Amino acid sequence: MKYWRETLAVAQRILIELLRRRRSLVFWTIFPVSILIINGFIVAERAQLSMAEAFEYAAPSTLVGAALFFSCLGGSVATVVAEREQQTLKRLFISPLSGTSYFLGIFVAHTCIGIGQTLLVYTIAAFWGAKFQGSILLGGVIILLSIISYVGVGFVLGTQFARRTEDVNALVAAFGVPLLILGGAFVPSFVFPKTLLDIAKFNPVYHMVKALSGVSDEGKKFADIELHFWFLYVFAILMVVAGWLSYRRMLSVERRL
Amino acid sequence: MLHIKRLSKSFGKRQVLQDLTLHVRPGEIYGLLGPNGAGKTTTINILCNLVKEDRGEITINKQPVSEATKSLIGVAPQENLLYKSLTCAENLDFFARIYGLSKQQRWEQVQVCLEAVNLVDRAKSPVETLSGGMKRRLNIAVALVHLPKLVILDEPTTGLDIEARYEIWELIRNLKKQGITVLLTTHLLDEAERLCDKIGIIKDGRIVVEGSLSALRELIPAQEVVVVQTRDEESAIARGKQLGFTHRRYGNDLAFWLPEPLELKEIIACFDGIAVDAIARSPVRLEHIYVEVTQG
Ligand SMILES: Nc1ncnc2c1ncn2[C@@H]1O[C@H](COP(=O)(O)OP(=O)(O)OP(=O)(O)O)[C@@H](O)[C@H]1O
Ligand SMILES: [Mg+2]
Repeated sequence: MKYWRETLAVAQRILIELLRRRRSLVFWTIFPVSILIINGFIVAERAQLSMAEAFEYAAPSTLVGAALFFSCLGGSVATVVAEREQQTLKRLFISPLSGTSYFLGIFVAHTCIGIGQTLLVYTIAAFWGAKFQGSILLGGVIILLSIISYVGVGFVLGTQFARRTEDVNALVAAFGVPLLILGGAFVPSFVFPKTLLDIAKFNPVYHMVKALSGVSDEGKKFADIELHFWFLYVFAILMVVAGWLSYRRMLSVERRL
Repeated sequence: MLHIKRLSKSFGKRQVLQDLTLHVRPGEIYGLLGPNGAGKTTTINILCNLVKEDRGEITINKQPVSEATKSLIGVAPQENLLYKSLTCAENLDFFARIYGLSKQQRWEQVQVCLEAVNLVDRAKSPVETLSGGMKRRLNIAVALVHLPKLVILDEPTTGLDIEARYEIWELIRNLKKQGITVLLTTHLLDEAERLCDKIGIIKDGRIVVEGSLSALRELIPAQEVVVVQTRDEESAIARGKQLGFTHRRYGNDLAFWLPEPLELKEIIACFDGIAVDAIARSPVRLEHIYVEVTQG
């Protein structure tokens, strides 16, 4: 009850702040829409697919690769860094707020944004006739695991590496863009040379894209994407643990007025 | 309300607090004064359960410091720690929620606190549009929103103009009227003089003197302090010695302690024959006591 109440308070606060600032929300809307449309048209043209098939192909990679990466990872880094920068974190330390609720609050807020983006991407894809082929439940779980992973990484970066808001962009670009390209978010991974593909197998974004495309585009069952799913699952757990440890470490350094 | 007994804390080899003892009674305004690095903020950190003490006993409202005592304390930190894009009311509501107030209580407390700090008409303004004084008041309001028993104000008026400072002083006096206990740290001695029922001066991690202002005045064997402006300070000091006046320097000022009250013309007569440009008289003030205690 205490955790739930605190989690909601934190999540709601983050969402109100984002609504006030608007800039991030506008970016998180325009970015996936433009990537989806560009990807859709390129795939339709190059692979000689129908528009519906092309957007079915483009939607999952656009969502978990590009959209959620910037909103959930970039967004949670920005939230944590802003809180450190304006030092409101200290005010939270002197309050009875638990670290768990704080983490969960950030997670819930970014999940709301992630769900919004999911609806946006799939609605636009549906406009061109794309359908969600496989189990929506399984797809939802994959999307949720992706969000958890991204928020976990965001927590690690936000508490350990980024000190100021200016650091966020540099960090996200330096870590993110190569990972996204290597994950097949922009360029389909079937065009990768073999060495690159071998490297990509260690990239969590690659597994997110593969798992969600499998379900959403190719209508695969759980057994067919099991490997990608478990990789993602383990990665998500590891990131939550890493995020938690980084938070503890930050506490021991910054927990004072 | 707050009892600290023989509190000690060191960071590495550096002993920051040594057997610090202080007692704050319910409804009292206690002023904690001391030079930079004396250990004021460290004490507050320990009270808020952010830093663990090495030794000592602390009770707040008869309970030892723990996560549970956090809700008994309201802290207005030295900097204004507020969410800039949220409005005044939203900031208050958020913290009230974190402290577990129900929706009804929150609605009431937000109104009460806004009124207390005179920000009702700015309830819907984002914090970033407020003036420095308003932010400062909101920073204090956040400390009050969950109805704490003990309010800790860390340098509440630093960096404010005199008008804003008067408003905050008024606010602190109103807290006292409501029976809230206040622990205040400040570098402004006139602020402590005006507000505090009890003053503790901390030096090198221990309380060196503690008491009401009138009790502290007893520490200086003088009825009056006289500042003498002269080009010939050596003669003035020699003359003071003859007359049994202790002399002190307060910044650049040369001052004498008068053990007995004297008329102005008697004071002038004391320094007869010395080129005196000006003489200023004042009662014994906290400044004099503070200098005595922290530099002596
Ligand atoms: N985490 C820490 N690690 C090492 N030293 C510390 C730490 N926190 C405080 N200190 C030291 O403890 C001493 C007391 O610091 P504190 O902040 O309590 O002083 P203060 O009385 O609040 O001073 P000011 O009036 O400048 O705010 C200082 O010398 C400071 O350097
Ligand atoms: Mg301090």
